[in-house]
Amino acid sequence: MNAPAAAPDQLEPRIRELFGSLDHAGELTAERVGSAELAAERILTGEAGREALGTRVRFMLGIAAQRVVAARYRAYGCPHTLAACEWLARELEGRSFEGPLPTSLQALRIDTPLAWAERLGIPAAKLGRLLVVEDALRAALTLS
Amino acid sequence: MSMSTSEPEAAAVYLDYAATTPVDARVAVAMNECLTRTGVFGNPASQHVYGRLARARVEAARAQVGSLIGVPAPQIIWTSGATESNNLAILGIARAAQARAAHRRGAHIVTARTEHKAVLDPCRRLEQEGFRVTYLTPDTQGLIDPLMVRDALTAETVLVSIMHANNEIGVLQDIEAIGECCRKRGVPFHVDAAQSAGKVPIDLSHAPVDLLSLTAHKLYGPKGVGALYVSAPRRAEVLPLIFGGGHERGLRSGTLAVHQIAGFGLACELCASERLEETRRIEALRARLWDGLREIPGALLNGHPTRHVAGILNVSFPGIEGESLLMGLPELALSTGSACNSDSDEPSYVLRALGRDTETAQSSLRFSLGRYSVETDIDRAVGALRREVARLRAVAP
Repeated sequence: MNAPAAAPDQLEPRIRELFGSLDHAGELTAERVGSAELAAERILTGEAGREALGTRVRFMLGIAAQRVVAARYRAYGCPHTLAACEWLARELEGRSFEGPLPTSLQALRIDTPLAWAERLGIPAAKLGRLLVVEDALRAALTLS
Repeated sequence: MSMSTSEPEAAAVYLDYAATTPVDARVAVAMNECLTRTGVFGNPASQHVYGRLARARVEAARAQVGSLIGVPAPQIIWTSGATESNNLAILGIARAAQARAAHRRGAHIVTARTEHKAVLDPCRRLEQEGFRVTYLTPDTQGLIDPLMVRDALTAETVLVSIMHANNEIGVLQDIEAIGECCRKRGVPFHVDAAQSAGKVPIDLSHAPVDLLSLTAHKLYGPKGVGALYVSAPRRAEVLPLIFGGGHERGLRSGTLAVHQIAGFGLACELCASERLEETRRIEALRARLWDGLREIPGALLNGHPTRHVAGILNVSFPGIEGESLLMGLPELALSTGSACNSDSDEPSYVLRALGRDTETAQSSLRFSLGRYSVETDIDRAVGALRREVARLRAVAP
């Protein structure tokens, strides 16, 4: 047998908590923009990665009045990837920015994947997965 | 089997018997008899009464292990486990052949891409030493065609090493037919039987196998002890790896661990006497498990539908990443077929060798059942899998 994956009890408690409560997984659709359910004026969507490479992430940010009013994601990947997506979605909701749209992670005061890893206790070997998460967020901010 | 609440992840259902088995309580009693001053604690190499008693216990165990596979006791060599047995067989045979004039250069070995690392890594080591290794690719169900082995043999082939039961998918190779191909060409044939011994009948009195690796901890014996069967004609063709006293007739030096050996021996005897009933029961549990899992949309059986050991079931759940699936199942103790951990992002090389794509390979789980598995364990596992697959599929893009 190959080396087994980490057992659930070997994950950092913060990762376990996030992975166990993927509350922000889901969709923000254009049809819902401006509805009572979603008070966004615009949705920014970005995607990165491939399943065959182990990680694929799509981020959706609902924007209104220079604020991220909703953040959702869909993700295929290891527990650390899913936990990082959930954490970022929680962090992003409510963030304000200057100008009509946020154009960078810095504009939303989101730091680097290395800092995410340190904060969440994600092993260095998983940094590549976090870069895919970052790419999805960047794509949402620059391509939408 | 549910573990006692003193263990981490209280009452997690143990479905990882292919990784290791708990020591049978009867085996533990036998081992305990060889530890303290009132027991058989002597060094089997000593000539006094304590040594003679220990030696007698070791030889009784040797007969028990030999009996399990149908060979005379003297052809059993004690080792620390299947990894050492595989290393001794592969490196020992190959280097001995290299030392002989006929194979000074270009000596050749045949094995399979789906072998355990304890076979593949010694083969890679031999490649560094100048050997040539052919890695056979199995069919999509994991079987190695004996004719493929036959066709791979050359005048320079010094060893064929093919496992009996695969540790990830449980597929059983036709070692008799493969062995016949080897015997016709006079090539030594080694079999890693770590996952099959005690679970399927092995009778080497008839099978054309020259060396066979065993380990105790896969058959309810202790960790840290194993054995290598070496047929009498091949004994002189094996170079030892460990020196220092000439134990085991020069093939494996080191003081024998009497308690582990005694435990190994009894574990083999119990497997032999209880195998038929146990296999029937475990096979029924495996069928119940697969019946439950196949209801999950997309669930895919990895391996052969009929040629497998009773206890191993490998299933892929496409669209789900294996490590996340495993993490979402804290109530189950099992292994992912992929090695997606902090050390490696590579999916299972066994499943890739079967032709599974990367995504399917990294979505696999290995369920392995054993002596203490019960129906409620299976039902709990099926329920947990249905829940977690649905949750993670809802998250996926």
